[in-house]
Amino acid sequence: MPHSLLKLVRTTGRAWLLAGVLLAVLASGAAQSAPGEPPASASRAAERIFADATPRLLQIRTLLVGAGRQSSTGSGFLVSANGLAITNYHVVSQVALEPKSYRLEYLAVDGGRGDVELLAIDLPNDLAVVRLDRRAAPFFAISDAARDLPKGERLYSLGNPLDLGFTITEGTYNGQVERSYSERIHFTGALNPGMSGGPAVTADGLVVGVNVAKRSGGELVSFLVPGRFAAALLRRVQDEKIEPQPDFRAEIGRQLGAWQAKLYRSLADDGFRAVTLGPYQAPEATAPWFTCWAQTNAGAIPKPRASVDTTNCRSDTGLFVAGDLSTGAILLSHAYARTVDLNQFQFATFLSQQAQARPVGGGAYRKWYTPQRCHEDFLTTSAGHDRPTLRVIWCAQAYREFAGLYDVAVIAVTEDKGSEALVSRATLQAVGYDDAVAFSKRFLQAVQWTR
Amino acid sequence: MDQVTWIEILSRHRDVAHRVRVAGAEVHIGRGYDNDVVIDDAYVAPRHARVFRDETGRLVAEDLGSLNGLFLDRDKTKLARIVIDGERPIRIGHTFVRIRDASHMVPPERAGQPAGAKILPIALAAALIVLEALSAWLGETGEPKASNYLFPLLSVAAVVIVWVGVWALLSRVISGVAHFERNLLIALAAILGFSVFNEFAQFSAFALTWRIPTSYGYVAMWCILAVACFFHLRELGRSRLPVKAVAVAGLAALAIAIQTLAQSEAFHDSGRQNTAQRLLPPALRLAPVRDETTFFGEIEQLKSRLDRDRSDVRADDPAR
Repeated sequence: MPHSLLKLVRTTGRAWLLAGVLLAVLASGAAQSAPGEPPASASRAAERIFADATPRLLQIRTLLVGAGRQSSTGSGFLVSANGLAITNYHVVSQVALEPKSYRLEYLAVDGGRGDVELLAIDLPNDLAVVRLDRRAAPFFAISDAARDLPKGERLYSLGNPLDLGFTITEGTYNGQVERSYSERIHFTGALNPGMSGGPAVTADGLVVGVNVAKRSGGELVSFLVPGRFAAALLRRVQDEKIEPQPDFRAEIGRQLGAWQAKLYRSLADDGFRAVTLGPYQAPEATAPWFTCWAQTNAGAIPKPRASVDTTNCRSDTGLFVAGDLSTGAILLSHAYARTVDLNQFQFATFLSQQAQARPVGGGAYRKWYTPQRCHEDFLTTSAGHDRPTLRVIWCAQAYREFAGLYDVAVIAVTEDKGSEALVSRATLQAVGYDDAVAFSKRFLQAVQWTR
Repeated sequence: MDQVTWIEILSRHRDVAHRVRVAGAEVHIGRGYDNDVVIDDAYVAPRHARVFRDETGRLVAEDLGSLNGLFLDRDKTKLARIVIDGERPIRIGHTFVRIRDASHMVPPERAGQPAGAKILPIALAAALIVLEALSAWLGETGEPKASNYLFPLLSVAAVVIVWVGVWALLSRVISGVAHFERNLLIALAAILGFSVFNEFAQFSAFALTWRIPTSYGYVAMWCILAVACFFHLRELGRSRLPVKAVAVAGLAALAIAIQTLAQSEAFHDSGRQNTAQRLLPPALRLAPVRDETTFFGEIEQLKSRLDRDRSDVRADDPAR
């Protein structure tokens, strides 16, 4: 199930106008409520928090340099007295990747606007630190603690959804997202496009998370980046006195590479567990951040002439790099096929359909990848006498922008019987070459007979 | 006078269009009606040439002072007199005229076709049908349907009939004989050849892990088509075979070059080689099974290839 990121792309002029009207109303409402007043009820608390947040809350807009119009909008919040603010990496990704075509602008609740400079990014945690010309304005404190709030604690998320105006939305803290490689807070509340990068605060105004994504196909299932990652990035900017860079591509490649190397190290430490499929054993990742589904064609009409039982495992490790490139996922699948009434040639043709190479990449080929190169051969892994011979197709393509990263697909078909076979497939996005080779070796070695 | 001279006016394809028997020592050729042989060609003089026998008895053609002159075959040099050999025609205006006397030697009688020869096209067609049906059957993984077999057969049959029909028609127009059977034989042999090649390519891609025949199958297709066209052209007329061979080979080379370009551009666009995998039963494997070291050694080499691709595309991109 894909996550949809909360950045608003393409809005109509009418929506923008509406936002202007709404903004005025909210601003006057904010003026009436005095900050610091004890909350009489949950909604009174929301009123107070919004009023408090008003001078610290921002809309971060990505403008097309040529047209001066917005290309996408997100949210952000001030975190220091010298104009540093936090937002999502995916809100500023166009500027990070194409600084010649895009620039950033902020819009404050009071209507003030100005230029925004991109200082630092944290690609794996989808965070960015920007600097703007609002000095001596009040700012948010970020919770640096890894401490767990109790499940059910009320959180308030702020931002500018759909470019309609600044809003506050109430929701519930629901702990860490299980089955996610990167730490994310499960927030049950309505996050909408445009709120990306906005803060999620407790009743006492402390930022515990940054709005980042919601689950498409779910209701109110939303995700926050834990505040301590934002605090760490901010600390790095302040300690190292980071100044704006002209181009973040190299930095993006470096962060992606380092993150993926760590991911494959942890994958190697966790190892595989064997699942039994017919007479074969196939490797399945033990890491908790894999979600596996199984399916069969047994009930299909017309009656299938070969039975196939498939398991698909997908890691929740996808990273947003650009609007047209999400990468970092790992897919492992096994299909155990057995003939019903196909002869050996027909069954082999059937297997060919199961073993076709499929596109691997998470983005547009011409923009992000070099051409795919494949190698194909018969292989027997070490101690081959108790393992079936495999026909292996190994395909890889390099990333144009990110040195040392490749997308790799390995497909192995067992070649021991003419009437049944295991088709195993591993798809690795944005992986170092040595990691990919080591992973493939272990993956192929784990295809065995059950004896 | 018992001297007989045959004057043959040839078509553009060197078939005899008109043949005149002239008895007498001398033959006059021209556009005027006072000649022995009258040629309706505006570039021929009213009295253009005469043919006579010299002291040694050879036939000689002589220009009678025409404006456009007398030539041997396609030569460019105007000649006043030409000694006739009975094989190469002379050219008068735009007309080719072959001159022979009664003693001209003709080749011996050709033996009639044995009755069994008609079996060959039937055998070829049967082989083709069996091969196609077998290949369709072995590739069948869904519900068996008669139309899966009959429809491709119908299309192949239609293509063959139209193709052979066109060549037979051309042959009939140009050389006067349709040669339907021989044209059919050529077409069937070509299709059968291509089918056999295809099966071999599939086999080698799996059993030998040798993918060149599948990747370059189109080269084989164009070559087979060129050879078939050459034989069809030969049926139209056996003159100037080297010219026909060169023309056909040239066109085939051009087609191969264009398709190679198209494939390389398609690869550039898609980044994926359009070679479909086709597996065969494990028992057909001929290639040796590699051990891990060898296999992953090859994979390591792939890395340098990918990195070279990467530096190439980055070199092409001035923005980076």
